Amino acid sequence: MPVPHRELKGVSVSIIGVGGSAIGDVKDQSEAGRIISEALENGINFFDNAWEYHDGLSEEIMGRALKGKRDQAFLMTKVCSHGRKRDVAMKMLEDSLRRLQTDHLDLWQIHEVIYDNDPDLHFQPDGAVEALTQAKREGKVRFIGFTGHKDPDIHLKMLSHRYPFDTVQMPLNPFDKHYRSFQQLVIPEAQRQGVMPIGMKSMGGGGEPVKRGVAAPDELLRYAMSVPGILTTVSGMDSYDVFKQNLAVVTDFKPMSRDEMAELENRVKAMAGDGRLEHYKATKLYDAAVGRQQHGFPSAKELPA
Amino acid sequence: MGAAALVSAGLTATKEAGAQTSSIPRRKFGRHPDEVSILGLGGHHLGNAASVQDATSILHEAVDNGLNFCDNAWEYNNHRSEEWMGKALAGGYREKVFLMTKVCTHGRDGSVAMQMLEDSLTRLGTDHLDLWQIHAVVYDNDPDLAYRKGGVIEAMQRAKQQGKVRYLGFTGHKDPRIHKRMIDMGFEWDAVQFPINAFDSQFRSFQELVLPDALKRGIAVLGMKPLNGDGAPFHHGDVKLTPEQALRYAMSVPGVTTTITGIDSLAVLRQDLAIAKAFEPLQAHQMQEIVASVKPVAGDGRFELYKTSLKYDDVVTRQMHEQPLSGAET
Repeated sequence: MPVPHRELKGVSVSIIGVGGSAIGDVKDQSEAGRIISEALENGINFFDNAWEYHDGLSEEIMGRALKGKRDQAFLMTKVCSHGRKRDVAMKMLEDSLRRLQTDHLDLWQIHEVIYDNDPDLHFQPDGAVEALTQAKREGKVRFIGFTGHKDPDIHLKMLSHRYPFDTVQMPLNPFDKHYRSFQQLVIPEAQRQGVMPIGMKSMGGGGEPVKRGVAAPDELLRYAMSVPGILTTVSGMDSYDVFKQNLAVVTDFKPMSRDEMAELENRVKAMAGDGRLEHYKATKLYDAAVGRQQHGFPSAKELPA
Repeated sequence: MGAAALVSAGLTATKEAGAQTSSIPRRKFGRHPDEVSILGLGGHHLGNAASVQDATSILHEAVDNGLNFCDNAWEYNNHRSEEWMGKALAGGYREKVFLMTKVCTHGRDGSVAMQMLEDSLTRLGTDHLDLWQIHAVVYDNDPDLAYRKGGVIEAMQRAKQQGKVRYLGFTGHKDPRIHKRMIDMGFEWDAVQFPINAFDSQFRSFQELVLPDALKRGIAVLGMKPLNGDGAPFHHGDVKLTPEQALRYAMSVPGVTTTITGIDSLAVLRQDLAIAKAFEPLQAHQMQEIVASVKPVAGDGRFELYKTSLKYDDVVTRQMHEQPLSGAET
């Protein structure tokens, strides 16, 4: 297989994953479908999504595109209870399964653990973590995890419960190495617990570093996929062209050497120390609507950043 | 802001200023002998008064009633705040106050800081400041930028040697870990300013992480955002706290020297003066009750947007750190 794979507890997963949010941004659904089909044909089997992406549209698009090919895919979506109780989470699971046209997920993760009190809310009695346990027991999901883009301390608080998560998703890029670093702070603890890290935001979220000429897209994707010990890198592909570019990078991919990674880290260091290349950590720009509502924050219109 | 919240909450402090005889309590300024009033006049809001005449009336009435701590910053309201305060301080008031303003280099060289100091002194109509602080230390790399060779701290030392400023400090509303680094990196600060309110005690807490260190070193602790910056909690059904309770909480936190609050009208001033003059520190159990009442909505920073968003990072701060300008007040 030209696209390398790695293993999650014996299950084979491609080193790149198709991001669900961007799939909902593709200009028409036939192009989105084409990205998904050709990804599968080329050995990319990891598909990311979330209950809240584009109000369910991203899951619907993916469900249609995977029809008849579901067993070739490693399908992940995320639950968006944002602190609410287990029943809300279980209802979201049913929504997701219906939209994705399947009877089970390969991976179900708690989405956007980004508020300081989220760990307490998810681990409260009858909270979202209990939903994960229940869904796994009922055979509706194979693996479980959580995601978030804000602060490594919040991830560490989630991990401090020593709950048997299978995966943990976080931003991984050379900027993160210098600023509130998930790579430095979370990966070692995850590995101690046998929780597999998943990377995201390889381009700094909105491609800010690329726009500023700090680094090229292909080297940023290569860097993210080269972080030792990770399962896969979720990448947003909002057009067929971007998909083809990514495919070229991942085909026969060889990880960067430690020296090559260090060179890139050093090159971006001077600009990385205040989060200007990682807006998801220090601003509200990437905090989605449902989480803001549940946490009583102003809307994106009232408080964009 | 805080001011509006006080008014809309319908506080009953309606005593005429002239009829009051008592004065505002004062506290020692850290390890130094100076004494400052427990209530400080915020420079930003002074520049939002209806006119320079109104700003002058506010400052004069405040000082006549025993307030002596005056806050400002080089960048507030595109310099109007310093200009108006300078006009109000003319004619003998300068000598009656402990005057502070802030330098807004946001990482730039010490030479920029020295020019800003001259600007501030000119606008404020004085030859010296009692306290000069680094404004808005709010990005993770700000301590490194402040301490670097040729940076703002070197300028501050020079200004002190030249007798243009008596004391030095820094301010910031974002993260106690940034403040802690500014202190741990070793400069002998005279003052440090940060948000102090009941919510802060439950979320990225300056009271917990910075205040004890400051006291140990004899650094004067200047509280700000007693009403959370925008008074939002007082318009929210889940919060039972009143603005008066919130202000009293802020002034009662053990170790706090003064509480800087926004005052943009005589009505707000008179409410604040009444609270400050009658001030008795809250008992520990009263403070605990206030903390308990806000705790359910304090843990995610929804009412401390200065910590959790860019909302309170003003334009120059954002520009120097190349942050998004969306939603910035101009």
